[in-house]
Amino acid sequence: MNRKTLTKLTDMFWQTLTFLASSVSLFVLGAIVVYVFNTGWKLMNIDLIRYDYRSNTYIGEIVDIPEFCLCEPTLSLDEETFYSEKWGVALKNDEDVLGKNIVIVEYVHQNSPLNELVNKSSVGPRTFALLDGYVVRRIAFFGLPSALDLYGAETMIQMLDGVDQFRELELITQGGGIRGSIYTTLWLVGLTLMFALPIGVASAIYLNEFASKRSRITRYFRQFIELLTGVPSIVYGLMGLAFFVPLVSSLTEATGPSLISGALTLAVIVLPVIIRTTEESLRVIPDEYRQASYALGATKMQTVTKVILPSAFPGILSATLLAIGRIVGESAALIFAIGVIIRDEISIFGQSTSLAVHIYAMLTDEPANIELSATISIIIIAIVLVMNFLIKLATRNFAKKSFEGGLI
Amino acid sequence: MKKIIVHFQHWLQTNQTKRFLDKGFIFLFLVATLISSSFIFVVVGIVLERGIIPFVTDNFGLGPVNLFRFLTGDIYLTGDTFYSVSYEIGYLIIATLYNAFLALLIALPIGVLSALFIAKIAPKWLASILRTTVEILASIPSIVYGLFGVTIIINQVYLFADGLGIQSRAGLSVLSTAILLAIMILPTITVVSELAIRSVHPSIEQGALALGATVTQKNFKVVLPSAKSGIFSGIILGLGRALGEATAVSLVSGSRFSGYSFNIFEITSTLTSRMLEGMKETQGVDYSIRFSMGLVLLAVIIITNFALNFVKNRIGNIHE
Repeated sequence: MNRKTLTKLTDMFWQTLTFLASSVSLFVLGAIVVYVFNTGWKLMNIDLIRYDYRSNTYIGEIVDIPEFCLCEPTLSLDEETFYSEKWGVALKNDEDVLGKNIVIVEYVHQNSPLNELVNKSSVGPRTFALLDGYVVRRIAFFGLPSALDLYGAETMIQMLDGVDQFRELELITQGGGIRGSIYTTLWLVGLTLMFALPIGVASAIYLNEFASKRSRITRYFRQFIELLTGVPSIVYGLMGLAFFVPLVSSLTEATGPSLISGALTLAVIVLPVIIRTTEESLRVIPDEYRQASYALGATKMQTVTKVILPSAFPGILSATLLAIGRIVGESAALIFAIGVIIRDEISIFGQSTSLAVHIYAMLTDEPANIELSATISIIIIAIVLVMNFLIKLATRNFAKKSFEGGLI
Repeated sequence: MKKIIVHFQHWLQTNQTKRFLDKGFIFLFLVATLISSSFIFVVVGIVLERGIIPFVTDNFGLGPVNLFRFLTGDIYLTGDTFYSVSYEIGYLIIATLYNAFLALLIALPIGVLSALFIAKIAPKWLASILRTTVEILASIPSIVYGLFGVTIIINQVYLFADGLGIQSRAGLSVLSTAILLAIMILPTITVVSELAIRSVHPSIEQGALALGATVTQKNFKVVLPSAKSGIFSGIILGLGRALGEATAVSLVSGSRFSGYSFNIFEITSTLTSRMLEGMKETQGVDYSIRFSMGLVLLAVIIITNFALNFVKNRIGNIHE
């Protein structure tokens, strides 16, 4: 083998090596996406955002004499499903995960009297609606034997049709929904941006427009803000726990970790991102704009609100989107600052979990709920991808417009 | 009434008022900046204030925690929680550094080689696909990696260990942690290295080619060494992420209460995973000790950063 072929071979070897190395990223992303979709897609449906996470046993009754529905179902029901025109409800025989025979609510008509039931048990809301997916355990009547689930759906419907009033209805609500966590995440995004955007944008404007460029103090300001990016999020969690939680507790009705203290902690986390991204967009605004504005007699305030802010809008938008991505994905800081208790009823003064922390809570639980974790992961990945795409769109349009066409 | 409004409008338009309002306006912006730049002191201050409590108070009659043993010992807690102050996290510091180092060992070659491929070798369409892939990987939140780790990675590691005849605890191990961290820091290293490789001056490359080097020889013997300072920045950023990562690591590392874990199939714990686990009270030494660990974590990150920056400045860039 001569020297030339040897060189050629070694070259090829090294080239292939770089190719293989870069395919690792592709492989990992593919593996994650395939795994998450494979595991979680089957739980992905609209009920996920309707249902509570915990399934509860409710005992419902109708207090007044009901106005009967006497209506046809608005959708076609199959032969396995038994419908009561009087009550506007369809029941179906089914099996639970353990293979036990159960009766589930397949459909409830919108005019059904069962849409407003009074809760007799001590837990849960005072009134609730019968929703499809609920499991009916038994229906008790006045002076008649109860309709139990072991008789099947058909018998239950027949007995229901035969009476004008029932004593109580025992149901198990459908659990495994993530409504509470979705609300929490939305609240967190809103509150965090409310805290962080004004301060972040104002800081960026001060640093870029008003602060003297070469003064040592300005340099220190920048460095201090930049240092925040290097702090690991779990340390932010500690800070939230020891600083914001007591602060919020003393100012509001919150008694411990709360949604507000979580949002304040997140605000500190996204602050450097917002400042840096906004400043980048301020830096590319041509100086002529400011000079023209001042030459027209505008004050600094007018220049900022009418010239600087509109031109920096795409930058502020990117900053917002980046921040949303960060908020949705954050877990370690929130575990400390809000806690890991999954709630269905959300209060901004109470504990609850964001989508990411919901996954953590389920994974550290026994047994871990892998399927639902994967489903929530799909949602989180989708949100993050959409944010990334929108950022690209915003910056591309921004670059296209540049600063040739004038402002408003 | 109308007269007052007109008067007020007139007052608003006088130069004096304008100047006054402008000053107030800028002052508000200055306040915002002061708030933003003060948070780093709040963070460090709070963690410091809480973190030193176990060492300077007598912890409700239990006596202060011994700082030297805290930093060097290898049994997390001797005695019962809330009834003992013998906390030792020396082994956690070592494990944190060891796991991060292993992760770097895996991610660095892969990251740098793929950066080279993306920047110099791949055709344009492939490069843009790979770049998007890396960007997406960088933006996936750590809890999703945690889910991936706690199902796929630990299973594969378990099977691998089983194949070698080693019993690992369901795959929760140093190796799983290192692989997971490697996946998480890979995009950082790739992106920063690619930037560094692309900013190598073309004249250096042309010089190499003119001397008769093949394209591949040029890439490996000239471009990579010229970009090493930038690649080092990627290492610093990646290590920072690996050292501070909490949720994902706590899911795959197992939970180790004592002893060093250099065997890659043993369970381990890092500073961050120990901080996350088993938080039960909101006061007392078991609560405050987490702040002490946070303080140690910050110290570890800062010291590693300084050390690496020192090395980076020593090696420097060839064309500088």
